Amino acid sequence: MYKKLALFSFFAAVSLMAESEIDTLKTQLQEQQTMTQLLLKKVNDLEKKDAQKDKETLEGAFLQNTSASFSQNAYLPDIALVLNMSAVGRDLSNTQYENFAIPGFIDATDAELPFNKDRGFNLNYAEVAMHSVVDPYFEVYTIFHLKRTEFEIGEAYVLTTSLPEGLRIKAGKFKSSFGRINEKHQHSWNFDEQPIIYKALFGPDAISDAGIQLQWVAPTDTYTMVGVEAMQGTNERSFGDIEENNLYTAYVKSSLDITDDLSILGGVSLAHGKTATKEQSDVYGVDLTLREQLGSYSALIWQSEFLQRNKGTGEKQSGLYTEVVYQYNKNYSGGVRYEKITKNQTDLSIYSGIDTDNLQKYTAMLQYKPFAFSRLRLEYSYDATKIIDGQRTDINTVILSLNIAAGAHGAHAY
Amino acid sequence: MKKILWASLVLASSLFATLKIDTTYATLGAVTQEVGGDLVEVHVLGSSKYDPHFIVPKPSLLSKLRRADLLIINGGGLEVGWLPPLIRSANNRKIQPGAEGFLDMSHFIKMIDKPTSVSRAFGDIHAQGNPHYVTDPHQVIVMAKVIAKKLAQIDPSHTQNYQHNLEKFLKKWEAYLKKFDLKMSQCTTKKVLQYHELYNYFLKRYGIVSVGNIEPLPGITPSSKHTLELIGTVKENGVKKILQDVYHDKKAAEFIAAKTGAKVVVVPHDVGSVKAADTLEDFYNTMAKSICN
Ligand SMILES: [Zn+2]
Repeated sequence: MYKKLALFSFFAAVSLMAESEIDTLKTQLQEQQTMTQLLLKKVNDLEKKDAQKDKETLEGAFLQNTSASFSQNAYLPDIALVLNMSAVGRDLSNTQYENFAIPGFIDATDAELPFNKDRGFNLNYAEVAMHSVVDPYFEVYTIFHLKRTEFEIGEAYVLTTSLPEGLRIKAGKFKSSFGRINEKHQHSWNFDEQPIIYKALFGPDAISDAGIQLQWVAPTDTYTMVGVEAMQGTNERSFGDIEENNLYTAYVKSSLDITDDLSILGGVSLAHGKTATKEQSDVYGVDLTLREQLGSYSALIWQSEFLQRNKGTGEKQSGLYTEVVYQYNKNYSGGVRYEKITKNQTDLSIYSGIDTDNLQKYTAMLQYKPFAFSRLRLEYSYDATKIIDGQRTDINTVILSLNIAAGAHGAHAY
Repeated sequence: MKKILWASLVLASSLFATLKIDTTYATLGAVTQEVGGDLVEVHVLGSSKYDPHFIVPKPSLLSKLRRADLLIINGGGLEVGWLPPLIRSANNRKIQPGAEGFLDMSHFIKMIDKPTSVSRAFGDIHAQGNPHYVTDPHQVIVMAKVIAKKLAQIDPSHTQNYQHNLEKFLKKWEAYLKKFDLKMSQCTTKKVLQYHELYNYFLKRYGIVSVGNIEPLPGITPSSKHTLELIGTVKENGVKKILQDVYHDKKAAEFIAAKTGAKVVVVPHDVGSVKAADTLEDFYNTMAKSICN
């Protein structure tokens, strides 16, 4: 292009100068020729440079690392790592504590104690949680618990993302959405210790089993969700029939905002199954949470739950917890909890001579979060629900726990 | 009688045809309303009086997400702490990430302040760059164009309406920007201190330098050591204004102000975060007024 233009102007100049004043024109011509040559040289240089550049990028491409051609890094799941550990003080020896009984619910030597069991130091668990989109229809979640001597699949399930009409199916092993805190993992509880009624009716993992869940969110202004689950029912405390899948749950949850800052969430739940001895076992749950938001980082939360188990044999047992948590700012929060076994109509003959009434527990905690991903919590509890070595024994416990959540960003809970 | 029947039928069908759009924050909502006009019903999920990084995932937000035809998010990681579980539990396939009814506005914005290295040792940094682009009034044009395109995509029968609304709005907005930029060119504030890097897009647009942040690291509460350092910085640079958002504690800013003679001004970060910022125009006007006057 440059070349052509230069040549054209050269010829034009030559034809113009044909007749007159040859000498002056000759000098002019010479000037023009040098200019043209200069121009041509410039154009050639430019072209060479371009070619050089092309060659360089080409060579660069050849030199480039091709080992990443099949890299799948972009498809790696989100991974989060949770560590939970504690230092515990208790006015009871470890052996005595391990063999506690809660009359009518847990017999001595029957309790499972995966968290904060020992006086002194405890590494409760390391949890590895992974999440990934499978395809346009499914997401997958796994939560592995790594304990000192065991590997446990806490949860592993698929979740649909493309069902119509507000429906969603979960399948795999998962924590049931029964009640308010059943589906929450230990590190997302407001207190380090599990509510007594949950521990008494379901054990430390609560209702967690292989199964399938269907949830439906109603297309209404007021949030309303209905869910049903069919689960294997391997929970030894309430649903332990090992011969067949025996556990079915159903629940309704609803929430509304009373003001912009005051919201309320309530739920009614039912779990229907069979015990290890094939007795019918029904657990009813009612829960209520009020949350007043006082600022971006400040809130007052009042949460309560009541659970009752009715067995085919006519046994009726129930209990509740109610707790208030005050989140002062980003860093500090505190809370108190009161718990009570409200009904215990069951065979208590093995505890004859022991006072089995007034089973209650009081807990208080102070929490400091240096940052969103780490948490220090000091918890004190006065537990008057236990029988140790055949005697009603009240237990004082102090727990200082540290919880770390690293990796993929966990979400803030309601 | 027939007429009434017809009228109510038309009314009913037009009501039925209204697109339900959820936006995570209020400025996105205001722009959506401009472009969508009567054809859309906009719900803003995150209250603008609170920290946009820490919206409380109230269950009532689920009922909004459940019925949405389109969800417009700010993106850039701003919603990562509260929105994903809500999307998961709202059971609405239309607004799942990757679906047609999910729009991440940050993909259309030239993000600034992209960190060269990412670690939580630096606090809760924004790994994808600064997501607080709504503070720059020029970004409104990008937002409006993208929203118009998205609306036409999910509701093609009203493409012309959206195009018409867009043109009308852009004309109005460009005229507004002309005046606004002129006003800003007379802004005498040249250096400021802010709490979080919340106003960087605005400051960059109008050549105002931010000399530092009151939070020592993103998401970390002010420390006395860092605050003392800032007093030095403010004095050295002759900073006159300390930009305070509406949701953080003012104590640190007021302490620095008292030691340096700088003034603490509350600056909205979103439409509606202060009373005087109820509309798009008023939001930017209030921002300009508080920073410049
Ligand atoms: Zn931010």
